[in-house]
Amino acid sequence: MKPILEINRLYKNFGGLEALKDISFEINPLEIIGLIGPNGAGKTTLFNCVAGLEKPSSGEILFTNNSRTVSIGGKKPESVTSLGIARTFQNIRLFDNLTVIDNVKIGQHCRTRTMFLGAVVRTPGQQEEERLVTDKANQFLEFVGLAGRGQEIASSMPYGNQRRLEIARALATEPRLLMLDEPAAGMNPQESRDLMALIRRIRDKGITILLIEHDMKVVMGVCERVVVINHGQWLAEGKPQDVQNNPKVIEAYLGKGAASAASA
Amino acid sequence: MFLQQLVNGLTIGGIYAMIAVGYTMIYGVIQLINFAHGEIYMLGAFFAFTFITFLGLPFYAAFLLSMLCCAVCGMLLDIVAYRPLRQSPRLAALITAIGMSIFLQNLAMVIWGSRPKPFPHGAVPAYFENKAVTFGDVSLSWFHLFIFAITIVMMVGLNLIIQKTKWGKAMRAVAQNKTMAALTGINVNRVISYTFALAGSLGGAAGILVGAYYNSLYPTMGYIAGVKAFAAAVLGGIGSVPGAMLGGVVLGVAEAFGAGYLSSLYRDGISYGVMITVIVLIPAGLFGKIIKETKKSM
Amino acid sequence: MGKWFPTKFRRGDIIRIGVFALALVVPFLPFVSDYLLHIVVLVFLYMILALGLNIVPGFNGLLDLGYVGFYGIGAYTSGLLTVHFGLSFWIIVPLAFMNGAIWGILLGAPTLRLTGDYFAIVTFGFSELVVLLITNEIWLTRGPLGLPGIDPVSIDLSLFGGPKWELVGELPYYYLALFLVLVTVFVMYRIQDSRLGRAWFAIRDDEVAAVSCGINLLAYKVIAFAISAAFGAVGGAFFARWVTFLSPDMFKFWESFLILCMIVLGGMGNIWGVMVGAFVLVSMSEILRELLPLLGLPVEVRFLAFGLIMVLMMRFRPAGLMPIPAVASRMKAGRVKRKKVKVAVGMKK
Repeated sequence: MKPILEINRLYKNFGGLEALKDISFEINPLEIIGLIGPNGAGKTTLFNCVAGLEKPSSGEILFTNNSRTVSIGGKKPESVTSLGIARTFQNIRLFDNLTVIDNVKIGQHCRTRTMFLGAVVRTPGQQEEERLVTDKANQFLEFVGLAGRGQEIASSMPYGNQRRLEIARALATEPRLLMLDEPAAGMNPQESRDLMALIRRIRDKGITILLIEHDMKVVMGVCERVVVINHGQWLAEGKPQDVQNNPKVIEAYLGKGAASAASA
Repeated sequence: MFLQQLVNGLTIGGIYAMIAVGYTMIYGVIQLINFAHGEIYMLGAFFAFTFITFLGLPFYAAFLLSMLCCAVCGMLLDIVAYRPLRQSPRLAALITAIGMSIFLQNLAMVIWGSRPKPFPHGAVPAYFENKAVTFGDVSLSWFHLFIFAITIVMMVGLNLIIQKTKWGKAMRAVAQNKTMAALTGINVNRVISYTFALAGSLGGAAGILVGAYYNSLYPTMGYIAGVKAFAAAVLGGIGSVPGAMLGGVVLGVAEAFGAGYLSSLYRDGISYGVMITVIVLIPAGLFGKIIKETKKSM
Repeated sequence: MGKWFPTKFRRGDIIRIGVFALALVVPFLPFVSDYLLHIVVLVFLYMILALGLNIVPGFNGLLDLGYVGFYGIGAYTSGLLTVHFGLSFWIIVPLAFMNGAIWGILLGAPTLRLTGDYFAIVTFGFSELVVLLITNEIWLTRGPLGLPGIDPVSIDLSLFGGPKWELVGELPYYYLALFLVLVTVFVMYRIQDSRLGRAWFAIRDDEVAAVSCGINLLAYKVIAFAISAAFGAVGGAFFARWVTFLSPDMFKFWESFLILCMIVLGGMGNIWGVMVGAFVLVSMSEILRELLPLLGLPVEVRFLAFGLIMVLMMRFRPAGLMPIPAVASRMKAGRVKRKKVKVAVGMKK
């Protein structure tokens, strides 16, 4: 089966800075892949290149959905989302002034079509679409554990709920691939466990997951494969336990000499 | 005709340059388009008028004192209106700037009346009228020379201040990166105030020159001059002082030729047209850096 | 079957219905003169304009300084079509709407990709160019002489063998304006609670997140700008047929600023807040116009006051008198300080 996402020899330069250098790896459908590496390794830059917020300097990114393969490097972010890739943000980007349910409804934007005339005249088609959007939004809220909170203002919620809301919104775009950027940041152990369960439930719904994460418990607990990058370059790849014991990886995180100390 | 328009253009261009550098310096340090800058220019003219008419001061003394008052006004404007909004979104500061502009325009109308006023007879040195230099059918009066001289002196002086003095370096630092500047011990608020003072004094000087040259002062004179000078600053690249100077001269000349050869009715339209064209086609202007909206910051 | 009436009535709704009922009978109250009616019609007109402008800064978080340009285009188009072709007002209104929208698209498409400051300046330049054009193209608009003799609005049923009524005096215009306001409010409400409105709010609150939800920023901003312009033009069309005389100095930048003041004062993004803002500022303007000479002060003090109000509002209550619900609840929760400024006013740092 063809990989859902293929990254081939991806480079990204910012002026003189090489943020990504010759990165290549694949994600197969329904995998849960972890992308790890020290701070500044280029993980979010990679996300941005896939999601369309940055344009790769060279290399290609191939996304396969429903047997159609599309090269998405350099595409605009709206197109990438329409094609079926959703992402969340390291620093949570919610629509602060809107209600929880409106936030999720906006996720449905790329799957709906009504414009000005429909909004004003309220054709039966528009009403049906709104009903569908509302129902789906409520389902997504329930799925992430925010049922009944639809009318709260997004920015008034506690941090953990805000993260869940962002995931609900991303799910509302009906993606095939979901990219989570440090979803466990700032969570306590119980919340992290809930998050891991949620991630598995998302995968069970047929969505492939790529996640950037620093919390190793989460990475070990939920990822089937881990890709390690450092200084913008691919460093290692494999099952979590194998990567954890890889001396190059240890060295990347802890510095030289730590590898021998760790194996001692 | 050509030479005469060139002379006119360079004269008015120098004036625009003096006002434009004010816009550009302020935008450089606080990323705000100071809509009220045109009003400082207007106040310069009116302060001079008041000093001459009611205090009986001679022209040059009134000129300098007025520049000083405008410097103070500029600083007050910052402290009272803009500084409290340093952390607010740009929209709030922009609206405040417009509000201050409207406020000052109408305050001037209340204080000095809305009808145009001339400088009192004999206020401006008499020999200004006399022709100093003539070539062909173009003549330059002493006033022209005076304006050129003041403009050049101010521009050179400003450049020296920015490039060679400690304050100038501090201004450049604040314009580049406020946080870093603060971390190196620069008192950012003081530098910003100083920038406003400098911008204000130059703007005020321009106002006096224009008021005396056309012998007509009115409270809304800052509005149109301000827009044109802003267009000049944009043309030169907002944030760049040499750009503003060049932009001012270019705009002045373009306006003179446009009004002379194309249509004097649309004299003002030339500035708007230049401004819109530059912004849409080359937002960075001649020398500026593009200030891209930080869409991609995560 | 869509919901024509909400089934739950809250206190706010009752107040609004009360105000509407009051508005219906105002012309028949004893102390109401034609002059007072004229002022109220002016209030209604500015409500329409303010609601139209509200789309751009209020719903989308973009500063539009050139709104009067569309108002002027609408007014002069309406005036000229009436004077030269005798077109009925009822045909002119949809034409004005479309004309405004077209100009909005023409101006917006190349400029809405710019940063907020630059966009604001370009809109300002545009409206100044419109005024210049109106003033100088005398063959078209009679320039500073003004355009007089615009027919008032009439309802012409002669095609169906019925009578023709010309609207004379302030009373019929009162109801016409009230009707137009209601239509405008209706449209705004419908948009607010729709996919289009949600997309706009998303753009206002976080452009990056909006884009990641599939929203094409430029397209939606242009649509917002076009619809805003359309309402401005409709306001202008009404204005022309109401005052029956146009001149270029009715469409100066000051008007743009005034309408902006209304939405800032009233509460940017809040439909009712904006209407309250229009009411307060127009009323204040008229009251001051009468009051100031009595106090021996020149009329310009009005404008002084407005400038000052804007400065003070931005400093102390940027969310306006009636902030949008999210901000209102934040303020109530006590988390008042700087945060409210950021989100109420919408534009990014």
